[in-house]
Amino acid sequence: MADEPFVHPRRDPIKSSVGNVAAQRRRQHAITVAKGRREAVVRTKRLCRAGVSGEADDPVTDGSDMMIDAEQSILEDQTCAAVEELKLSMSYQGKGAVQKRVAALRELRRLLSRSEFPPIEAAIKAGAIPLLVQCLSFGSPEEQLLEAAWCMTNIATGKPEETKALLPALPLLIAHLGEKSSLPVAEQCAWAVGNVAGEGEDLRNILLSQGALPPLARMMLPNKGSTVRTAAWALSNLIKGPDPKAATELIRIAGVVEAILRHLRKADEELATEVAWVVVYLSALSNVATSMLVKIDLLQILVERLGASNSLQLLIPVLRSIGNLVAGDDRIASTVLVTGQQITDFVIPALTKCLKSEHRILKKEAAWVMSNIAAGSVEHKKLVYSSEAVPLLLRLLATAPFDIRKEVAYVLGNLCVSPSEGSGRPHLIADHLVSLVSQGCLPGFIDLVRSADIEAARLGLQFIELVLRGIPNGEGVKLVEKEDGIDAMERFQFHENEELRCMATELVDKYFGEDYGVED
Amino acid sequence: MAMEVTQVLLNAQSVDSTIRKHAEESLRQFQEQNLPVFLLSLSGELAGEDKPVDSRKLAGLILKNALDAKEQHRKYELVQRWLALDVAVKSQIKTCLLQTLPSHVPDARSTASQVIAKVAGIELPQKQWPELIGSLLSNIHQVPAHLKQATLETLGYLCEEVSPDVVDQDQVNKILTAVVQGMNANEGNNDVRLAATRALYNALGFAQANFSNDMERDYIMRVACEATLSPDVKIRQAAFECLVSISSTYYEKLAPYIQDIFNITAKAVREDEEPVALQAIEFWSSICDEEIDILEEYGGDFTADSDVPCYYFIKQALPALVPMLLETLLKQEEDQDQDEGAWNLAMAGGTCLGLVARTVGDDIVPLVMPFIEENITKPDWRQREAATYAFGSILEGPSPDKLTPIVNVALNFMLTALTNDPNSHVKDTTAWTLGRIFEFLHGSTVETPIITPANCQQIITVLLQSMNDAPNVAEKACGALYFLAQGFEDVGSSSAITPYFQEIVKSLLNVTDREDAGESRLRTAAYETLNEVVRCSTDETAPMVLQLIPIIMTKLHQTLEAQKLSSDEREKQNELQGLLCGCLQVIIQKLGASEPTKYAFMQFADQIMSLFLRVFACRNATVHEEAMLAIGALAYATGPDFAKYMTELYKYLEMGLQNFEEYQVCAVTVGVVGDICRALEDKILPFCDGIMTQLLKDLSSNQLHRSVKPPIFSCFGDIALAIGENFEKYLMYAMPMLQSAAELSAHTSGADDEMIEYTNLLRNGILEAYSGIFQGFKNSPKTQLLIPYAPHILQFLDSIYMEKDMDDVVMKTAIGVLGDLADTLGSNAGSLIQQSLSCKDFLNECLSSDDHLIKESAEWAKLAIGRAISV
Repeated sequence: MADEPFVHPRRDPIKSSVGNVAAQRRRQHAITVAKGRREAVVRTKRLCRAGVSGEADDPVTDGSDMMIDAEQSILEDQTCAAVEELKLSMSYQGKGAVQKRVAALRELRRLLSRSEFPPIEAAIKAGAIPLLVQCLSFGSPEEQLLEAAWCMTNIATGKPEETKALLPALPLLIAHLGEKSSLPVAEQCAWAVGNVAGEGEDLRNILLSQGALPPLARMMLPNKGSTVRTAAWALSNLIKGPDPKAATELIRIAGVVEAILRHLRKADEELATEVAWVVVYLSALSNVATSMLVKIDLLQILVERLGASNSLQLLIPVLRSIGNLVAGDDRIASTVLVTGQQITDFVIPALTKCLKSEHRILKKEAAWVMSNIAAGSVEHKKLVYSSEAVPLLLRLLATAPFDIRKEVAYVLGNLCVSPSEGSGRPHLIADHLVSLVSQGCLPGFIDLVRSADIEAARLGLQFIELVLRGIPNGEGVKLVEKEDGIDAMERFQFHENEELRCMATELVDKYFGEDYGVED
Repeated sequence: MAMEVTQVLLNAQSVDSTIRKHAEESLRQFQEQNLPVFLLSLSGELAGEDKPVDSRKLAGLILKNALDAKEQHRKYELVQRWLALDVAVKSQIKTCLLQTLPSHVPDARSTASQVIAKVAGIELPQKQWPELIGSLLSNIHQVPAHLKQATLETLGYLCEEVSPDVVDQDQVNKILTAVVQGMNANEGNNDVRLAATRALYNALGFAQANFSNDMERDYIMRVACEATLSPDVKIRQAAFECLVSISSTYYEKLAPYIQDIFNITAKAVREDEEPVALQAIEFWSSICDEEIDILEEYGGDFTADSDVPCYYFIKQALPALVPMLLETLLKQEEDQDQDEGAWNLAMAGGTCLGLVARTVGDDIVPLVMPFIEENITKPDWRQREAATYAFGSILEGPSPDKLTPIVNVALNFMLTALTNDPNSHVKDTTAWTLGRIFEFLHGSTVETPIITPANCQQIITVLLQSMNDAPNVAEKACGALYFLAQGFEDVGSSSAITPYFQEIVKSLLNVTDREDAGESRLRTAAYETLNEVVRCSTDETAPMVLQLIPIIMTKLHQTLEAQKLSSDEREKQNELQGLLCGCLQVIIQKLGASEPTKYAFMQFADQIMSLFLRVFACRNATVHEEAMLAIGALAYATGPDFAKYMTELYKYLEMGLQNFEEYQVCAVTVGVVGDICRALEDKILPFCDGIMTQLLKDLSSNQLHRSVKPPIFSCFGDIALAIGENFEKYLMYAMPMLQSAAELSAHTSGADDEMIEYTNLLRNGILEAYSGIFQGFKNSPKTQLLIPYAPHILQFLDSIYMEKDMDDVVMKTAIGVLGDLADTLGSNAGSLIQQSLSCKDFLNECLSSDDHLIKESAEWAKLAIGRAISV
């Protein structure tokens, strides 16, 4: 034991041999590849079954076992063969021609629904698109239309350039959305159009210019569950913007507003979810739509849904719609959410429920909506302040992840100031401020000051200013010091953002300047 | 009751091997026959002030080894054995140990310190030996300096052995007070001060509360900083080590001291002896580590969710820090490039400069460029090398926009230097810098390409020329080529280096044959570069990759023919075999990935396989691991035909699965079993009894490294997927194993990050097993056999959902299991599923996930549940 047992720590040099790292990486890569293969096997089995079981007319045992583990290349060969078969069947004119064509289409559709990586590229290369377009020609038998549209739906899920290959088919797909088509065909076409619209702005603009919007909108009017759901889903893809024109066009189509209202009021949660997504985009993009939706009492229904549902899928678009409406139209607070009205009493508990949820997005959006309400009149502030939301908000400010904390801070901050006249500093609501600070919200704001997010830091600084100015008897100054606020503000000494640097320096100079502490 | 052991202990250190072996044997027998008396006698020997120092030291060492071991399971056994000893015996031993601390023999004291800490490490967590710390602290006030020194040393080791939560705050305060007082400049005895400083290093982890108190923290920091000015070099070094440790443990408390620390470190780097200066540099490297982590956590705008704010110490210190580091670069050692373990001021300075560049990004560039420009053309090689090294160090961190224009100018200069510079040191660093350029500024994601068709030829010509340079230069040139090739991954059918493929391969093979390829790890670098060139090659060069196979096979064959090697030669041979197997693995993977090349490759499959089987006959862990990985790739490429190799391969699979000691071999073998399952499907059935037996044994062993257990569970799934309902006979063994592992992994409360990460791996393995089993039984008449297990599986899903700490991978696998369960059991499980939390909240959460794989699995689960419930 002559050697020292004390080991001096040291790190690896930056200049090192490539061999060590490379061998490590190579082995890791080999193991990752094997894991990927395991996953592919499992996924393929699941997706196959999902495809097969979706169709009632096929017996489950139609030889699909052999297909399950087919290599991609085999799948591609089969796809080429299926396209060839389709080509042959198109030129065949004899007896049973329709059945032959439908059978060929169905085979192709099955291949395209089958594996983890559907052989879309192979199908396109083999020349499937012109054949499919031909199958969509007017007057074709319903089953043929359905299968062809289904193939296109699957092709539209592919890579962007594969989706774009469908361009020649779009006019016909849109044509079959019309009232003359049978519902299943129209729905399948809506599905295909929705997939295409989901691909991106360019394709959305093409679809809109070719008139996809009005027929889809009309499909939403009746009370047929699955058709309405598909149409609503396709519409929400189509009006995504960023250009608001489509959203405005949609809301102006006769009957749409009423249909939205009706579905949201009565429909099951699944349908309501898709319709709510339409509302999300309408209210996010179009001022025209927002003001029309406000007029028809939509907010009332959304708030009821928010209170009644426990489905996360539904709650998210509903909550976002409410937020869009409240944020988009300042009159809402004074005209719809009037204090004393039933809806106003209802909205706070519904939002509180969302704040209590385990789901991060839901919490965050609920806080966002609430911050907009708290930005309203003094009455609104009193309403929020005296609700059960406040203890919850205080807890979230202390413990929630950053993005939620930030929204929550806006709510609490808004509760403490009343709207200012002109551009001066906001007026304080002293009793709110004193009580919230006494319940321990200051550290949460000081924490925000320390964050890298400029907006949050500004909010934190603004709140510190309120505390310094608004807590009587100079207690605010002591509190800020006790919670390490000075340290937090001094960090801005070197900050890149000039506004924050000045704000912080000003506060420190004014309240903790040379005279500070002299009288103690 | 103790026995006289002095002579035996001396004999055990005799130069005469017969005497030594005899003594060792007697000691072993003594230990086996009567452990308590054995330990007692050793402690008596250690305490015996009249005994020879050599026997006392060995007695202490044997005692220490009787309390602790490296292997986890052995350590556990030793702890249990100590705890089971008679209380009176233990207390006698402990008395002897404490009595040794005042000894006048330094070695005896030091040995006793370490043994005391080991005993404390076992007993304090059990709430035993409560008086220990008190009695140690009472020594501090004793007069003899050597007792004080021994006591501080003991406290230091104790803090290293014991977790902070078993010592109460009051005692922590007293320990820290004693340690910090011992470090104080007033302490006249250097041995005491050194022991105290080293003790502080270990005690820092205990000082959370004290660092939160301004006054106490100020005091500790002042004493630590003062100790860096001690006249004794060892004290200065230990004090800087304390500051390094503080910089990572208490980063957020450093702001008030950072200016002073900068002054101290700057002085040490410029003026002090090397061991001290190295730690002073390490302080700034460690601050960089912290800030890089924090800034990484800041990351995107929404996740400014770091627990610790960034104080931008590096950014503020930059104007002074960078010149200080640049100065160190000029202090190279003559032959540091030939010495793999070298570590000196220049190396540490450059490493720190690289970290600074990663911390501050663009800001570093204008501070370093003048140094480079001034020195890069100087006649003194030290200046040219330092300039090049500085440039290479700052290539990671700053934006490509900032670096690309500079690199475009520098590239030509570097290529010329690599060819013409008279100094091999400069060439070594130049080649390394080229590698860094290619690593960080070349690739499909970089917007402005550095490599163009115009300069590609020149680059490759220069690099290939350097393959004939000194081994260390050639090794760095391989590295540059490695990253050059890597940058051409995913470029499509043809890349700029495609035309040079054959030439590159030829040069690399020549390098592997160089007589001196064993120096500077040149051979390894050449093979790994060849692998990367092959891995990133395009279809166009596939025929040339194919031609490589017979060449590599011949080399592997030659290693197997060599006979009667010395152990040194054998070691080199094994290393080479590992490299060749690795190379074949990459080639198989590459060619197996597309149909036409796979077909061409299959002509070699039999020969390759027979070589691998011969490789297994040599017993070397790394070689086995590499050969197994290659076999996994071969199985995938071969498909069901792989069955023909199974009879011969099987015994090596079994050997691999039994290799507890070299657990990486075991882990890789488990993975290969999975590959083979996917290749063979039900043709693997005849081998499953043996494989399952082995896997179950592995799981029940407490000797096998825990990291192998999750892949074993996944392997259950692979087997079940391959053999379907034939898995029936293993259900009664596998299911209880899965069930008890599931119970263990359901809750993680109070675990640290590492444990949570492991638990998630374990959960994933378990869930993959369940998925495989359910999918395997689907559509079989025997699905009802699985119904009894459904309640527990659903409960497992519910409980990990409620625990809220699963990662995305587990989430995806878990929701998939829910779908598989519903899919396979159908209406049999309908009502069970409806009662579970997973089918509602958990499913909903997954359905709205941002991760499309989770969403996809969830949609599948939703569909399957819908059917199970509706029927």
